[in-house]
Amino acid sequence: MATTTAAVTLTSDLLSDALSVTTDTTCMKAGTSADGLDQMRMGRNEIPTGTSFDLLDATTAGVDKANKVYIANLSTDETYYVTIVIDAKAIGRLYGGDWMFIPWNMDDATHDLEVTSTGGTNTIEWVKFHENETLATQAD
Amino acid sequence: MATTTALITINSSDLLSDELAITSTATLTQTTTATGIEHTTGLARKTITSTAKGTASGQVTLYTADDFAAIPYLFVKNTDTTAGNRIYIYDDTTSGDPIQFQLDAGDWGFIPMHGDKTYKAYATTNPTKVEFMVLGKDQ
Repeated sequence: MATTTAAVTLTSDLLSDALSVTTDTTCMKAGTSADGLDQMRMGRNEIPTGTSFDLLDATTAGVDKANKVYIANLSTDETYYVTIVIDAKAIGRLYGGDWMFIPWNMDDATHDLEVTSTGGTNTIEWVKFHENETLATQAD
Repeated sequence: MATTTALITINSSDLLSDELAITSTATLTQTTTATGIEHTTGLARKTITSTAKGTASGQVTLYTADDFAAIPYLFVKNTDTTAGNRIYIYDDTTSGDPIQFQLDAGDWGFIPMHGDKTYKAYATTNPTKVEFMVLGKDQ
């Protein structure tokens, strides 16, 4: 099995004492601790303003499976952002320099993950770690 | 001004035929500014006793809509150690309470939220402990 680990460290001097939270996880297939996620997709896209785009399509085969999604907004302008939408419901905004790591719940085949750019063209990098994907049959 | 950073590292030596290593650091700032965030709920640990959404009680509210100015950052972790004991996070503001995230045992997520929706959690097993923290600007 493949072993993929995702770790986060949150640090801050926001409080009167140091804030430091660290954790990690090994990305596993749904419902098991013995079989790691063994499929991935990744990409880098420039997203122009004015249109909502499907970044990742939900599929029937992915319903209730493990899907971990990392997205980073590489824009350097702090006023630019990308709205992240799942199934037509906005779940987050990714401003320039921010990243997100979400355990995407593919509730059904309509739970597509969509992105919309605001402020200007945003460049994002993304990775999806998942299971149970088969390639679509060729359609001319 | 406070400086708050979120560092992610993703590594795998055997998912691909070559090493995979991703690292990114975000400095958490107030929306459209370079000013650092000012507030946090602090790290909380609560027990989820509900195994369904929409039941009378037992879900844990991770974030209440518009509690923070956009955008608040949510860190959440399923502390359970038994695979299959999942936490489901649903949007309690939208009709139908759509489930947007699911965390299996040990999973975590870091979500720069839109901020206008209430997120609640239920679990497949009663009890399941969840850890979470919101960072941003309280309003």
